[in-house]
Amino acid sequence: MAGVLAKKCITPLVLLHRRLSVPEFIAQCCYHEKVVDHYENPRNVGSLDKKSKNVGTGLVGAPACGDVMKLQIEVDDQGKIVDAKFKTFGCGSAIASSSLVTEWVKGKSLADASMIKNTDIAKELSLPPVKLHCSMLAEDAIKAALADYRLKQQAIQQVAVEAIN
Amino acid sequence: MLSLVGSRSIRWFRTVLPVKYSVVTGGHTYVTQPTEEAIGRHLNSRQPYAGSLFACRIHAGSFRSYCTAHTKLSCWKCQQTFEERPVFFCPRCKVVQPPDESASHFQILDSTHSFTLDTQKLQKRYLQLQRSLHPDNFSQCTKEEQQHSEDQSALLNRAYRTLLKPLTRGLYMLELEGMPLEEGTDPGADPGLLMELMELNEAVEEAVTPEEATRIGQDTKVRLKELTAQIDTALHRGEHEAAKALLIQMKYFANVEEKVKEQLSKLM
Repeated sequence: MAGVLAKKCITPLVLLHRRLSVPEFIAQCCYHEKVVDHYENPRNVGSLDKKSKNVGTGLVGAPACGDVMKLQIEVDDQGKIVDAKFKTFGCGSAIASSSLVTEWVKGKSLADASMIKNTDIAKELSLPPVKLHCSMLAEDAIKAALADYRLKQQAIQQVAVEAIN
Repeated sequence: MLSLVGSRSIRWFRTVLPVKYSVVTGGHTYVTQPTEEAIGRHLNSRQPYAGSLFACRIHAGSFRSYCTAHTKLSCWKCQQTFEERPVFFCPRCKVVQPPDESASHFQILDSTHSFTLDTQKLQKRYLQLQRSLHPDNFSQCTKEEQQHSEDQSALLNRAYRTLLKPLTRGLYMLELEGMPLEEGTDPGADPGLLMELMELNEAVEEAVTPEEATRIGQDTKVRLKELTAQIDTALHRGEHEAAKALLIQMKYFANVEEKVKEQLSKLM
C-alpha cells in the first residue's frame, strides 16, 4: 500500500524532472533539426554598412507576433550578391528562416534572389503551418532589401544623368 | 456560391449541423434551426471547403456567431429556458451549465466592454466565479457536470488572461470588431519605427549591466503607458484602424519588454 502511494506521488515528479533536465530533447521533438541547427548556429548574423551604395537593407516586422527582421545584401558591380547579413529578434523559426535566406542569396544574381519564395523556405525547414508566417517574413525581408538596393542604384543613376546634362 | 452549392447541400447541412452543434456548444439545446441565409453566409465565408464534410464539421463552430442571436438557451437537464446570459447554473435545478460560447469575455466576467477597465473588479469577479465553477467542487457529481465545470473553468481562465493585460484586451476587442491582426508582414509599417525597434532590441541584447537593462525596461514601460492612453482614446472614438496600428506598436514594445526581462535574468 505504502509502495503504491509512494509510486503515485513520485511519478509526476520524475516526469517533471525529465522535462526540466532535457529541454533540448523536447525542442528537437517540436522543431525540425534544420531549424534547431540554424537557431543554435545562425549563419551570417550581423550588419553591413547601410549607407554604402552597394548595400540594400530590408527591414520588416510581423505585427501578429511582434518580430522584427533586418536583412542586408551587398552587391558587386556585376549585379551578384556577394555578402548577406541578418539580424532577427523573434522566434526560432523566424531566426532560422532569415539565416537560411542569407545562405541562399549569397552568390545569386538579383533576379535569382527575387525568385525565393516563402514556400521554399518553409519546405527546406519543414516549418509547421502555424510558423509559415515566419518564412513569409524572410521572403518579404529579402524583397525589401532588393527594392532598397534598386532604389539606391536608381538614385545614383539619376545623379549621374543630371551631372552629364 | 449559394446557388452553386444548391439547396440540397443546405438540406444536408441542416441534417448534419444540429448534431454537431450540440457537441460544439457543449450540450445546449437550441430552440431554432439555422436559417438558410445564415448557412449561405457561412458557405460563402468558407468557400474553398464548403463541399467537404470534414471542413464543414470543423467550421461548424464558427456558425454560432450567426445563429445564436435569436435563439434561446435552455438547461441541458431540466429544459428550463434562460432569459439572461451568460448562465453558469440553472436557476431552477441549480445544475452547472456548459459555457455559453456566444458570450464575450466581457460578458462572462461581468465587466464593462471598454479598453480601460477596473482590473481589481475583474480579478474579484474571476475569483468569485472560479470558486463556484472549479472542477474541485464537482468531484462527487456526474460526468457531465464535471465536464461542464472543466469547460467553464477553462473558459474563465482564458477570459481572465485575455482581459487582464491591455495588449491582449485590445487585440480581443479588435477581434470582436472582426478585425484580427493578420499574420505575415505589415506592409504599412513605419520604417522609422522598425529601425527604432531594431536599435532598441540591439541595445537590450548588448546591455552588460542590470542597470542598463533596467533603464531600457523603464523607457519601454513609459512608452507602453503612452500607447495604452492613445489606444483608449482611439477606441473611445470608434477609430478602429488607428487602434489597430497602435496595438501593433504595443505588441512590438511588449516584446522588447519581454526581452529586457530575459536579459535581466541572464545578468542577475
